[in-house]
Amino acid sequence: MDAAITTPARIKQVRPRKSILHWLAPYLLIAPTFAIIFLFTLKPTVGAIHDSLFRPARLAQDPPVYVGLENYFDLFDPTHYLGARFGRILGNTILFGMFTVAIGVPLALMFALLLNRRLKRMGLWRFSFVYPSLLPIIGAASIWAFIFADQVGLAAAILNMLGLEDVNWLGNPNLVLWAIIIINVWSQTGYYMLFFLAGLQGIPRDLYEAAELDGADYRQQFLYLTLPLLRRTSLFVLTIGFAFAFQTVDQLQALTDGGPGDRSNLILYFIYQNIGERRNWGYVNAMTILLALLVLVVTVANFAFFERGGRENDR
Amino acid sequence: MTDKPTLGSRLTTLFTMVVALIWLTPLIFTLLMSVRPPAEAIIQGGLFFGSSITFENYVNAWNIAPWHLHYMSSIIFVVGTLLVQWVTVTMAGYAFARMKFAGRNLLLILLLMQLMIPPGVLLVQNFATVRDLGLFDTHWAMMLPYWGSAFGTLLLRQTFREIPIDLEEAARIDGANWFQLMRKIYIPLAIPAYIAFSLVSISSHWNEFLWPLVVTQSEHVRPLTVALSRLIRTADQGSMYSLLMAGTVLVVAPLSILFILFQRRFVESFASSGIK
Repeated sequence: MDAAITTPARIKQVRPRKSILHWLAPYLLIAPTFAIIFLFTLKPTVGAIHDSLFRPARLAQDPPVYVGLENYFDLFDPTHYLGARFGRILGNTILFGMFTVAIGVPLALMFALLLNRRLKRMGLWRFSFVYPSLLPIIGAASIWAFIFADQVGLAAAILNMLGLEDVNWLGNPNLVLWAIIIINVWSQTGYYMLFFLAGLQGIPRDLYEAAELDGADYRQQFLYLTLPLLRRTSLFVLTIGFAFAFQTVDQLQALTDGGPGDRSNLILYFIYQNIGERRNWGYVNAMTILLALLVLVVTVANFAFFERGGRENDR
Repeated sequence: MTDKPTLGSRLTTLFTMVVALIWLTPLIFTLLMSVRPPAEAIIQGGLFFGSSITFENYVNAWNIAPWHLHYMSSIIFVVGTLLVQWVTVTMAGYAFARMKFAGRNLLLILLLMQLMIPPGVLLVQNFATVRDLGLFDTHWAMMLPYWGSAFGTLLLRQTFREIPIDLEEAARIDGANWFQLMRKIYIPLAIPAYIAFSLVSISSHWNEFLWPLVVTQSEHVRPLTVALSRLIRTADQGSMYSLLMAGTVLVVAPLSILFILFQRRFVESFASSGIK
């Protein structure tokens, strides 16, 4: 504290040494990061928009042809060779996101409520819910390949044991998307739970004590205290839930190839399937833009709500 | 909320156990299946144990693919990514936390773009970029897009800003240059943030699948996840599920052990991140 008087004077002695290097310093410091952001986020975004408006020429050496929004129209045209499939795949992607979130998020909240109590062997309980989200999704897919295996899988064994007819989860067109949803819910819920746990632990204890004094029972405390205070957390979890779901690929590559008959196909996997097809380059980029918009809608909604929610919470 | 367990709280604990057991079932059966005799399906004999316990599957699984190469490749990918990230994230984090410069807010928004449009979505374009750079089928191709991290930059920016500026000023008066400043003050005080970021980075890249799948081709470059996806297909066709479960354990064991050892750290890191 003695230095407080001398400090300003000393700093003034240092300041005049500002040079061009001084002015450049911040830009040099952020340059590596922005080189990567430019190369792998900005350039590809602009590139995908651009390429989605063109169609490759018949011959590889000819320049691509400008077609306006025609690639997009084709994707929504049921008589077009890709559009015939894309409608179903887009629908699958949205359904998949909605069901994953509608099942996974309430489940995650329930797990968090169960663990947010005084429990012995907390580490073990937490591990049992969180470990699936630590596995590579491909590892989860591998485990579920065994569970869902036709006739010889664990699910079949358990169903047989209970005297029920076993089903072919991955081969049945009406079940396959559900099988993929189950894998996703199992592997993500523990991760979402962590956010709810953090949110619950942020709620001051005395609020509950006050509510109890006022005669609020557990159900009322949950509805009028816990839920509203977890609004921000819930919104955040919903967002990442959708964003992850929209980018699901691993299980499809490992288990279903998007089949049977595209019944489990999702946008990003469809993009992957067409990545090597030169004639589909314009379509693949149009799909990329549509997927980016889908993800953007949820992430931007999150950012927007977060800002507003933040201010309300701070009062 | 009382100290003595009531009937209600006992029932809740029981319910927790049941749910936890359901969630653990896949793991339990993965382990049980991996020690079943190779030709014995789960519908033959006991549900839990086969006719004998054997580690044959682990031997077979280890011999079916060059796992040491895939392990090496995964390690190169994860470590090579993280080391560079530490440097870039520290530099950019400091610039955004403590320096004033023209265009700072605009650049911050551009940074956020990476969080709003994840690189995975831009797969086709990024694949073309990597190919044009002549990096296809190399470890560089896998790592390069992750060398700039918006999440890490923002995390360190936040952490650096909370460090009292007096410390920096005092050090500058003592004649410390920027590197000394980072080494003596900023980095040591931000260790928890570095740990959080590192755990998130390690687990997400160890588990990464689609990007390595697209930009690699040779065995010695492909990471564990891609190798496992091929094993799934092979095993599925031959119904060799005990082999597959042994292979799965080989792949997921390292990170799982790391998690069990550092459970609290992991939980805190993930909760603070929002990005896996």
